[in-house]
Amino acid sequence: MTTPGGSWNTDADGSGESPRTPGYRAWIGGLVELAQQAFRRLAVSAARTPGRLSMIAVGLVTLTLLVGLVSTVMAQGKKDAVDGLLEHREPVTAEAQRVYSALSDAEATAAGALLADDSETERLRERYEDSIAQAGASLAKAAASAQEVPEAAEQVDIIGQQLPVYTGLVETARANDRQGFPVGASYLQEASELMRSTILPAAQELYELETGRLAEQQRDARSFPVFTALLALGLVAALLATQRYLQRRTNRVLNPGLVVATVAVLVSLLWTSVALVVHGVQVGSGQRDGTEQADRLVSTRIVALQARADQTMSLVARGAGDQHAEGFSRLSRQLGGSDGAGGLLGEVREQAAGGPAEELVNEAIENAESWRLADERIREHSDEGDYGAAVELAISADDEGAARAFHALDDNLSQAIDEGRQDFVDSTTTASRALHALPQGLAVLSVVAALGITVGVGERLREYR
Amino acid sequence: MTPRTRRHARRHPRHLLVALLPALGLAVAACGPAGEPRDLSGQVVAQRPQPAGVGGAPPEEDGEVADDDCDATASLEPDGADIPDGSTMAEIRDRGHLVAGVDQNTFLFGFHNPATGQLEGFDIDIAREVAGAIFGDRDRVRFRTITSAERIPALREGDVDIVVRTMTVNCARREHVEFSSVYFEAGQRVLVRAASGVDSLDDLAGQRVCAAEGSTSLRNIAEAAPEPVSVPNWSDCLVMLQQRQVEAVSTDDTILAGMAEQDPTTEVVGEPFTEEPYAIGIPPGDEDMVRYVNAVLEDVREDRWDELYDRWIEPVLGGASPPDARYR
Repeated sequence: MTTPGGSWNTDADGSGESPRTPGYRAWIGGLVELAQQAFRRLAVSAARTPGRLSMIAVGLVTLTLLVGLVSTVMAQGKKDAVDGLLEHREPVTAEAQRVYSALSDAEATAAGALLADDSETERLRERYEDSIAQAGASLAKAAASAQEVPEAAEQVDIIGQQLPVYTGLVETARANDRQGFPVGASYLQEASELMRSTILPAAQELYELETGRLAEQQRDARSFPVFTALLALGLVAALLATQRYLQRRTNRVLNPGLVVATVAVLVSLLWTSVALVVHGVQVGSGQRDGTEQADRLVSTRIVALQARADQTMSLVARGAGDQHAEGFSRLSRQLGGSDGAGGLLGEVREQAAGGPAEELVNEAIENAESWRLADERIREHSDEGDYGAAVELAISADDEGAARAFHALDDNLSQAIDEGRQDFVDSTTTASRALHALPQGLAVLSVVAALGITVGVGERLREYR
Repeated sequence: MTPRTRRHARRHPRHLLVALLPALGLAVAACGPAGEPRDLSGQVVAQRPQPAGVGGAPPEEDGEVADDDCDATASLEPDGADIPDGSTMAEIRDRGHLVAGVDQNTFLFGFHNPATGQLEGFDIDIAREVAGAIFGDRDRVRFRTITSAERIPALREGDVDIVVRTMTVNCARREHVEFSSVYFEAGQRVLVRAASGVDSLDDLAGQRVCAAEGSTSLRNIAEAAPEPVSVPNWSDCLVMLQQRQVEAVSTDDTILAGMAEQDPTTEVVGEPFTEEPYAIGIPPGDEDMVRYVNAVLEDVREDRWDELYDRWIEPVLGGASPPDARYR
């Protein structure tokens, strides 16, 4: 009704003085009269059984097609949502996470590259460059999605503006250091301050915003379609009532058409329920064992990276390095708690228990412990003034060194993060597969049900002729 | 709309429509303001980074400013090069190494040489002389790098045996720690960008001038009116000067010379306006150590001082002779 009404309005406004106005009025009047006639005829025929039967048939078919349409759209929406998780939302969150960890990694590596001797510098330098490149590339990917949320866009702006400044400072530090100028160390400290006070908080905020959006979308994907369910149950009730009505009127137990329709609707209902339960469970499992675990692991890894940055900076900033040494102890406690197996790593272990990442997390806990011990020895050397030994222990890839323990820890946590992401992909793909062909199936079944109703009621109607 | 347009077209001559439509289009296009081009990012202004821990004027320390009436540079008479049992030196000898609080950021005095991985400089060599006297081996010293502000706390808490870190001896500091005789005479001057046209501290009224926190220089700047900016380490001052966040750095000419060496676009200007006698800081109560170190310094003045000066300082600041020791 709205469409003709709407266009009539426009025409009336647009051509109010047109000579054709009376014609339109007559047409509208005719339409109203037609509707009135139809209604009167319906009222008359509803008083008789055949008329009532046709009306029931029309109502049932309409309701069936409506339920079919709504549930098909619902199922397609669910499928789109879960595919969106897999193809867009989670990858974007992962990019935001990469920005955060690549930046932390760059900071942790830059100081080491300044401390180390030539061969080691080369390797650390490469790692630093790779981290910066990774951060830049991931930022570009994360930026597109971040534009949808003003707070996220703001963080992208901060990182985009400050990252070139940061790399500039690191290069200035490097150039001065190469000439043997102590001002190089001061530039590096300034770079580190910029990273910690401005860039990393923005990267963290961006990551947390994206993680929040992912969780929200996962919740939405799992939500139960109450409206569709009520509509479908209403349809089943209507079908059963109609059959009871026909049974009383015609004394025939079964109407094949309506039975086919009922079966089709029940099959739809059952299929949808099973698919949605599997879907919900799998999306939930992908969220709990996949993304949430990965999120916890990411936080843990970033604390480890920041502790590493403090460890190396405490040696670069000798003399002003106490705050970094304290930073390391604080972050190290945060990482492993008081006994090395508590803190963030303890939480991660609890979460990963029985999962594919369990082994990795256990190894990471051992790495963290040997790293902490290595740092104690670095601190001893440093306090005794044996700077060379302290640097050697911090940078070299020896078995006893802090570098080896840290890198092993970092690798294990990265792999565990990948396991978490894999878990998400596995579960969420299963969730998506559970909905495979469901929209199309529901559409077909609703057409079958509608045909069944038409044929079934049509048969009865023929008996009245 | 399409059917109606077609009806109109039928009713009116086609060429009229052809003429009218563009005219109508132009009329509509000219109506109303067009708005402005949209800038998605707006005008961005660079936010310039600063070194960590930048501060302002120094806090008033108890008695530091007022108490100038002691004989600051007069130390204890040397008492020979022997190390008696139970003395502070004997403890150090038994430990196997001397612990010296030094700087790693002051070019020419105490700095980290990335090529060798070692700390080098005039102060470092003085500390090595003390170690050489105790152990007969100049390498038996462990360097702890400390900031300017950490010098007195490190001595009072006994974290280090000596501090050789461009440390000016004055009465206020004498209340907290012991000092050896003076081993170097410096004076506060000003480092500016060569193109700035500044000739002395007086030209810097109302400008930002940088010094390390806890240093006497910072106090002197604060007294001489310019707006003081404090940083944890001297090198941070050079960073801020290079980044044009301060107009000048003012401290001992020795430290400034090291900075000028790192940046040829800067120069040291003005006459020295303070006397900064450098002495070795020693933990309070270690009087035997003071006498011992003074004996070491007597030897250094006679023997190695010129060699060390020529190696580190002479190329930048020109010739000088060792300061005379004064004892009370």
